[in-house]
Amino acid sequence: MEIKRMNEKIIDIKWKKCKNCGFLQHNSHLRCLKCKKDEFSIINPSGLGTLISYTILNAPPMEFREKKSLALGIVQFSNNIKALGQITRTNNLKIGMKLKPIYKEICDNLDGKKVETYLFEPI
Amino acid sequence: MSPDCAIIGVGHTKFGRIEEKNLLDLLSEASLEAINNSNTGTEDFDSVYVGCMSANAFNNISGIASALVDKISLLPAAADHIKNGPASGGSAVKAGVQAIKSGMSNIALVVGGEKMTHIKKPGFITSNVATITHPEAERIHGISLPAMAGLLTRTYLKKYNAKLSWLSDIAIKNHRNGTLNPLAHFQKSIEDIMKQAIKKGKGNWKNIQEFLTDDKMNPIIADPLRLYHICPISDGSAALILCNADIAKQFCDTPILISGIGQATDTHIIYEREDITTLKALKICSQQAYKMAGISPHDINVAELHDAFEILEAVESEDIGFFPKGEGAKAAHEGLTEIGGKIPINPSGGLKARGHPLGATGVAQIVELYWQLQGEAGKRQIDGAEKGITCNFGGFGNNILSFILERMDGN
Repeated sequence: MEIKRMNEKIIDIKWKKCKNCGFLQHNSHLRCLKCKKDEFSIINPSGLGTLISYTILNAPPMEFREKKSLALGIVQFSNNIKALGQITRTNNLKIGMKLKPIYKEICDNLDGKKVETYLFEPI
Repeated sequence: MSPDCAIIGVGHTKFGRIEEKNLLDLLSEASLEAINNSNTGTEDFDSVYVGCMSANAFNNISGIASALVDKISLLPAAADHIKNGPASGGSAVKAGVQAIKSGMSNIALVVGGEKMTHIKKPGFITSNVATITHPEAERIHGISLPAMAGLLTRTYLKKYNAKLSWLSDIAIKNHRNGTLNPLAHFQKSIEDIMKQAIKKGKGNWKNIQEFLTDDKMNPIIADPLRLYHICPISDGSAALILCNADIAKQFCDTPILISGIGQATDTHIIYEREDITTLKALKICSQQAYKMAGISPHDINVAELHDAFEILEAVESEDIGFFPKGEGAKAAHEGLTEIGGKIPINPSGGLKARGHPLGATGVAQIVELYWQLQGEAGKRQIDGAEKGITCNFGGFGNNILSFILERMDGN
């Protein structure tokens, strides 16, 4: 998966593995949450994701009100990377089901920017 | 040795939809009530701390602390505006206690408030509050605080084999408590709301739990959470006068001590936590507070917890040390947290019924404990209350404060 960024680029699922202690954490941290060192290797998710929790939000924030309802889930991949994102459907969801990330624009104006990122599609 | 910090007076406006007053009016009303209540009328105040989360976004006001001291004539007291999300009130109290205990201040005013109900744009407040979530890992996906609570609830119910109806029991209790608190946003029990709906021909339900599963009367907001599992937005303000305990009895016969304080943080991204059903920040900060006060959870007679969502009251009642992990919702269902129960939680009505003017909440929780420990809580009084604890929840559990209050020796 290509790693890109907000506005011009797509926001992807990207974590860091600490080169000192091996702790896995989201890419946004500048130092390891466990040992406080700052050298990392980049880790992308591997395999399909497993849905570990979800909700159907019927009152989204104003920037996301094009849709009446949003399904949001926390997904864990086989290499223990986790991500939160929208799910492509709001029915027939079940904890433990398998999903894969797909990519599209999910908001046309969040703080003046388009958001292009991953969503989870049930397999 | 640093001096102890005592509360010598409190103020608390009505919480709810208060159309005729602006934010500064509400802060002033609570502050002046606290000043009068503490007999510090013409005393010089050293410092003023104002807890308010979103004065700029909701009210288009900057510099509210400076405006307040001018409006209520506390010049030239040092004045600060403290912002820490929904824990802004708790952080303002902490700043006030630090000022007293450091010796930099002898008498301090702490006031929290928010004015929200005038905002009519759909999703604006949800969106503003969602800015406290992680910008890249959470917010850009359309998350809101209710959605986070929905994710937590689904995980909790499955992990601990708990029932959603047990969380409804918390809402039922807090609404009932709210009817005993004249300052609460909601003044009706859910049973009375149901009876009124039956009278108006909106439906017929066998009991409150059946009423609370009706999609029309209690719509799903963030599945599985419904409207009645979520606190309202409210206007209101609450205030405390803090004082060096050595001089407290000059102003008040029965000052109340703030004997313990804790504050701790946790990961900004909720799914980076080892277990999203555990509020590690609360475990740490409540232990800090217990240690400072030299007591344990068994010594607490009353608690004011941050039930912005009813799942939070259940989880907080575990992580603050009252119940084993996974048993908080069940304990509420069994009535252990009712007024008169083993450990009464939210006799004020909590955020669910007293209301949640964001920056006011952390201060209002302490005002309620002050009344409880003074024996001045009216129909919701906990018999013999001597020690109480609060949990004021910032972000989604990533910045939490806890305070322990107790009656001073010789009261």
